[in-house]
Amino acid sequence: MNGALAIYRREMLSLWVTPLAWVLMAAFLVLQGLSFHLTLSHFANYPDVAFQGGPIQAYFGQSMFMPLSILLVAPALTMRTFAEERRSGTLEALLTAPVTAAGVVAGKYLASLSTYVLLWLPTILYVVILRDTGHIDWAVVGASYLAVLGIGAAYLAIGTLMSALTRSQLTALMLSFFALFGSLIAGIGEFVFPPGLLQELCAHVSVIGQIEEMSRGVVDSRRLVFDATLVLLPLLLTTRVVEVWR
Amino acid sequence: MIDVEDLVKDYGTVVAVRGLSFRIGAGEVVGFLGPNGAGKTTTLRILSGFLPATSGRVRIGGHDIRTDALAARSRLGYLPESAPSYPELRVREYLLFRARLKRVPRKRRADALEQAMAEAGVASMADTLIGHLSKGYRQRLGLADALLGSPPLLILDEPTAGLDPNQILEIRALVRALGKAHTVLLSTHILSEVEATCDRAIVIAKGRLVAEGSVDALRASPKREAALLVRDPDGLAPGLLAEDPRLQHVAVEAADGLVRLVLTFAPEADAGTALEAAVARLVRSGVAVREATLRKVRLEEVFGSLTRAGRSDAPAPEATP
Repeated sequence: MNGALAIYRREMLSLWVTPLAWVLMAAFLVLQGLSFHLTLSHFANYPDVAFQGGPIQAYFGQSMFMPLSILLVAPALTMRTFAEERRSGTLEALLTAPVTAAGVVAGKYLASLSTYVLLWLPTILYVVILRDTGHIDWAVVGASYLAVLGIGAAYLAIGTLMSALTRSQLTALMLSFFALFGSLIAGIGEFVFPPGLLQELCAHVSVIGQIEEMSRGVVDSRRLVFDATLVLLPLLLTTRVVEVWR
Repeated sequence: MIDVEDLVKDYGTVVAVRGLSFRIGAGEVVGFLGPNGAGKTTTLRILSGFLPATSGRVRIGGHDIRTDALAARSRLGYLPESAPSYPELRVREYLLFRARLKRVPRKRRADALEQAMAEAGVASMADTLIGHLSKGYRQRLGLADALLGSPPLLILDEPTAGLDPNQILEIRALVRALGKAHTVLLSTHILSEVEATCDRAIVIAKGRLVAEGSVDALRASPKREAALLVRDPDGLAPGLLAEDPRLQHVAVEAADGLVRLVLTFAPEADAGTALEAAVARLVRSGVAVREATLRKVRLEEVFGSLTRAGRSDAPAPEATP
């Protein structure tokens, strides 16, 4: 893991001194704010409609906004990671330093993961707002954020791999967008296929299913193992790609 | 300091380096000379550990660049061609990142930074955004990066490429000064650069070593070229001369209804007898020889003749992964 910390700090600095992270954060928070606003208005306008769970559960689990916003943010956060270093030639200086491939990948990945977490941080305000008006089920809050973290971590790992496969940021963005969109579509298969193996398979890999389930406060270890697999596999492949470069 | 044995790099479509071997001792300042596409950048990238070699062996300070990579890499400072860097960072931020990456101990980091910036002459730009630096300063920044942690060996890929004449003089003076404390290997396709900065030159063409020695020795190398003016209406001469192993290369150009042939002799051949044999062979086959001159070759021409074989073929692509 030689060099991971130095690379992590450099990545964070580069992300936050350029407009990219700020623009992403602004767009992301506008979307989340809109989604939260719509959820709350719904609850306020139809107080009689029976709904299991409170607004937090609805905000995380009942809206397509949630998986879509992660789908939009992850490729944009990771597209630069390796593609930009290869295009500009800085990769040469990076890889001739006494660093290991695993260190390079870990440093870069953790930087995008931290930035992702920072994007979500302000949404804790929503919970604070709701706390003043009613009862908060902390298990729901915890499990929902765990789902957001798990899915985001997996998507960012896939994005990192895609960025290592090309010299163009735009290509990296498109590649990871399509890969992630594919995973989202696979999840919809749960509602399309007749009961059977295919439907079960789709249900297992469904990101929508995962966030819906966890927003009810249910933490199934199989979901977490699935996320961990989607983090580790792409990252191991990325490390392999970096090793092949040198 | 550098020990290269039988290095080969095959990109699949092009073989950029074909069995290169050389040694560089501690404290030497060596110019790595060759025309564009000769395999200079590829070789330096292999030496720096950026590219894997197809076969062959490289040791830096006794450490194998593949099996003992971290130890080998920590002994060298490398300036990649055109010194790429992150435009969004400031000079000091970038060098601090590089110092951390090279594991300069925390206590010595601030001093190492100041020293490298002072030596490379970027101290006045410490707080400038790299994107705002001129080409010359960017090159200096690359040098400062290579100097961080005072590695015993510096590998510089075309340190003066793209600079204006004043900047070239400054960088050359800098390299000369660095040569007092470091072993330096610098690549260039400009001969005067080697004369100005180096003790010794390694000349490659087409991925092969074609000459090695001090600049004076290269200049004093035996005359290796001859010019012939012949009347050859049937175009027999090139075919006839191609059979002689003492001739490395024959260039043909038309001149006033006659043909001018420029012969390059193989390094081990005696130019005089080889020329006599060539003339005899031509005359026997009915090619009329009007003039035959052994040339006094200037240094540029030594370089040209040494590397001409590489020029006729398509240059190797400077591939990056």
